[in-house]
Amino acid sequence: MNNSSKPKFFFQLLHESRRVIYIMLDEYRMILRDSGLAVIFLGATLIYPILYSSIYRNETIHDMSIAVIDESQSYRARELARRLDATPDLKVTYQLNNLEEAKDLFFKQKIHGIVYIPKEYSKKINRNEQATVSIYCDMSSFMYYRTMMLGTNLGILESGKDIKIERLNVAGITGRTAEISVAPFRYEKNILFNESMGFASFLLPVVLVLIIQQTLFFGITMLTGTLREEKLASIDPKMRQKDKFFPTIFGKVLCYFSMYIVICAYILLVIPRIFQLPHIGNQLDIIRFFTPFLLAVIFFSMLISIFIRNRETAMIIFPFISLVLLFLSGLSWPESNMPWFWRSFGMIFPSTFGIQGYLKINSMGAGLEQVKFEHIALWIQTAVYFLATVFAYRIQMRTAVK
Amino acid sequence: MSKSIIQQIRDVAHREWKRMLSHPVYLLSSIIAMLFCYVFFLTLMSEGLPKQLPIGIVDSDNSSLSRALERNINASPQVEIIAKYASYTEARKDMQKGHIYAIVDIAPGFQADLLANRQPSIAYYVNDVYLVAGSLSYKDLTYISELMSGFILQQSLQAKGITSEENLMSILQPISIDTHQIGNPYTNYSVYLSNILLPGVLQLLIIMFTIYAIGVEMKQNTTREWLSTSNESILSALTGKIIPHTVLFTILGLMGLFLQYKVMKFPMNGNIVLMSLAMFLFVIAHQSIGIFIIGLFQRLRDSISLGVFYGLLSFTFSGLTFPIEAMPRGAQIFAWLFPIRYYFKIYVNEALNGANIRYSLIYFAVMLLFLLLPFLVYRRLRSTIVAHDRKEIKYNRFNEQFQ
Repeated sequence: MNNSSKPKFFFQLLHESRRVIYIMLDEYRMILRDSGLAVIFLGATLIYPILYSSIYRNETIHDMSIAVIDESQSYRARELARRLDATPDLKVTYQLNNLEEAKDLFFKQKIHGIVYIPKEYSKKINRNEQATVSIYCDMSSFMYYRTMMLGTNLGILESGKDIKIERLNVAGITGRTAEISVAPFRYEKNILFNESMGFASFLLPVVLVLIIQQTLFFGITMLTGTLREEKLASIDPKMRQKDKFFPTIFGKVLCYFSMYIVICAYILLVIPRIFQLPHIGNQLDIIRFFTPFLLAVIFFSMLISIFIRNRETAMIIFPFISLVLLFLSGLSWPESNMPWFWRSFGMIFPSTFGIQGYLKINSMGAGLEQVKFEHIALWIQTAVYFLATVFAYRIQMRTAVK
Repeated sequence: MSKSIIQQIRDVAHREWKRMLSHPVYLLSSIIAMLFCYVFFLTLMSEGLPKQLPIGIVDSDNSSLSRALERNINASPQVEIIAKYASYTEARKDMQKGHIYAIVDIAPGFQADLLANRQPSIAYYVNDVYLVAGSLSYKDLTYISELMSGFILQQSLQAKGITSEENLMSILQPISIDTHQIGNPYTNYSVYLSNILLPGVLQLLIIMFTIYAIGVEMKQNTTREWLSTSNESILSALTGKIIPHTVLFTILGLMGLFLQYKVMKFPMNGNIVLMSLAMFLFVIAHQSIGIFIIGLFQRLRDSISLGVFYGLLSFTFSGLTFPIEAMPRGAQIFAWLFPIRYYFKIYVNEALNGANIRYSLIYFAVMLLFLLLPFLVYRRLRSTIVAHDRKEIKYNRFNEQFQ
């Protein structure tokens, strides 16, 4: 008995796998034949990473244009302006005499900051009093604000330190003692994982993961929608495998998965190296982490596509979701400060964990052990969306047969 | 017999309105998407500036001074020490897990070195993978350190007999900085982002909706009915079609302005009427772009792909997150092609800077220029629609004969 069931089982397995492979090849055929699908799966995944990496290539603002209003007209004021200009962040493009002129340039958005040195600046310093310098920051972009604060803090603190030492000298504290008094302890800043404090290194890893998820999502929903337009009732209108939904599901998954192994390798491993984005992670860990990510995204998209009736539907309704997902990942607004319900809402989407995991492994060099939470979460998502998809396909295909 | 052009437009608009209501999927999902984003972005960052950012400390000195530093850090509203670590490696591992944004590392002998005038140092490690959290926690740590060293200097000066408040301050901080954050005095992060992200979502919906509304007539073979409503006039057919959308999206856009400036009390240093006008121009400029895209590509499927591409690039080229002038020169040119860029400039002038209207006039004018786009593809679009219409008529006749 045992002997006869074994070959039977083997043949059945062979038969089933032939079905799976048939579906897989059929999906490939449809994707390659349909220019719209090919554009999403192959075009967008190829172009978007290059496009975004090129646009954000410069990473930070250097020599941001500012104006200095020097009412003091003194050596000390010129010294301060020179210091500001010497910082890597700022460039004094205009030396003006009054605030009105500066306002005009500021409203024309030609300068992104104003440093105002009042008339009594030099006098106050010479009289051993505390002088005040006013700075005006362009708040239209966080980058302008950050650059202005970095630059002026550096420039003005440096100037202040010199004056401090002069004054301590006057008070009878000199030499090394004065230096130490001014700075009883030093503090050194170490930027970890994004040494250049760059914008591309910050944003791009997130965009890359989102590109993978969103192209898969739009591709799968468009593919299903297109098939549906031909015959509304069924999820697999051609009834390629009658009511055999397991081969249908596995065939599709195998097609998307095999295609995206190559795409992921390009986006996650090659692009960061070409564009000098952070890539200190273990490549094997990235592969192991992104296996459940891909599966979760595929099953998630297949599940949503149950509700998609037309080719365009998802593309018209859902592009804005990309932006929401970017914020749910906790990259911009810190995850620790998100309201709890949005944090829970984010857990619906594979990208939330995918992005966090990729940042931690690829940008911060974490091991798989340290992203255990995200890794397990993705496997749970895979399981949940897999079961839901099987269930939905079963219902859909059964009703279609009747 | 022949209807006036106003009549034609009214009839088409009426037809479009009925079409929208009879298949409300897209209408409802646009409204829901926009409302969702209003709620999402305005509540996600309702705190304004992230507070109590989690950081860690490695206090190998464990002296009264290092504990004082720790207390000072905790007293600041911006950061919060959530964990103490025995070693830097341990702390770094936790940072890699994303639990903390910064590490304060105090080496052993800190207090002893300080008292012996050996100028010890403290190391800060900031995780700038999270640019905002990293920048903010670093800014705060610098500030606390300056305060601390000022405090220590003050004590040593007092010990030397310099006690008057004036003298002390002039030595402690010879130059004080008086910072003005124009238009956003509390560095409210939500003000900075929502003001552009929300119109950004709106423009995505407008472009897709416009392309779909025109393309679907051809896809579903209803051009005959469409054109007969407009008395065969393409101009009326197009105008009448997009007017109901103009009303819908202008209402949604103005609602956003109301939520931001009235409900959330975002700064508005200029004229809200001008902002509303800018919003209206923003809506019709994007409708024009939608018409331009479908006119250019003719087929619904290609137009939609391009619409998504353009709409998503709008966020980049608004110049909100990363300034245009810091981009490579080749990319900078493209910023001209996005109305959101001009809307951004108007918003900065009006809401933040409170600048005179004459600074924004040029941006209003450029937004108006986008209205010319449909005329560039007008003939092409007309021939597409007419050609499709002929096919449709032929097909109908064939069907009639067949029956």
